[in-house]
Amino acid sequence: MSADPRSRRVAVVADSLLEGLAAELGAAGYGLIQLPPRDLGDATVAAWIEQVAEHVAEFVRSGYEVVLADDGAAEAALTAALGELGVEAPPPYAVQPPTTSAF
Amino acid sequence: MAETERVRVALIAHCLLNQNAKVEGGAKRPGMWEPVIDLLRARGYLIRQMPCPELAFGGARRFWGVREQFDTPLYRRHCRRLAELVAGVVEHHRDDDVVLIGIDSSPTMGVDFTPSAPHWGGKPDIGEDDSALVRGDGIFLEALREVLAERGLPMPRSTGIRHWFADYDPDEELERLEDLLR
Repeated sequence: MSADPRSRRVAVVADSLLEGLAAELGAAGYGLIQLPPRDLGDATVAAWIEQVAEHVAEFVRSGYEVVLADDGAAEAALTAALGELGVEAPPPYAVQPPTTSAF
Repeated sequence: MAETERVRVALIAHCLLNQNAKVEGGAKRPGMWEPVIDLLRARGYLIRQMPCPELAFGGARRFWGVREQFDTPLYRRHCRRLAELVAGVVEHHRDDDVVLIGIDSSPTMGVDFTPSAPHWGGKPDIGEDDSALVRGDGIFLEALREVLAERGLPMPRSTGIRHWFADYDPDEELERLEDLLR
């Protein structure tokens, strides 16, 4: 295998924000973990959040930077699932302001 | 429901959105595999990222391996648990147009090809990679097929990304993806 260009930066992103943030996060080199869409049933959403928490816990344990871009729908459940794994919720991703022309 | 009214949904291997989930040495890009993501977005597909069974099971520092090494009862049970989640998504979209994009060099997420080396094991110093890509699906895909069948759901149309094939041809892959996303 060749040199590995991974960024070691991961953004956990609400489904509702994925389309709007994908280009920005991709340009910044983030890999994305999608949070569940709201319209899935409760059981599927819970299972989805559980596996996201397991992925996040592993990335944190391995020294990757992890941030959270949430719309408020999954944060409490994700925080609880991470808590069960002994991991704190990721810090929020700061959405980048639009670039302006140089003064 | 008419074909034109169906939502287009793409179940994609976790690493296509998150290259950090690849086994060390296996990432091709810093963050995501844009050729697939850009194509899906351009075609109006809803992206549904599947879990990475290998990351969740073996961790970010796992060694790379072949199908025979992963093919244990415990790993199959793990894949089946995650397949139940994905089956829930397929069930939700049972009236929609659902496709699946895996990774054809993966012992877990392979769709048409998966790596094989029955002699691999022990000290992780294989030197030159002498594994072979053989016809067949990965262990997660096999589990998903089983779970969907139990629920009376069809397996989505699918293909695998082949960017680790020695003779990888981006044009061939694009043509295959466009055929999938017809």
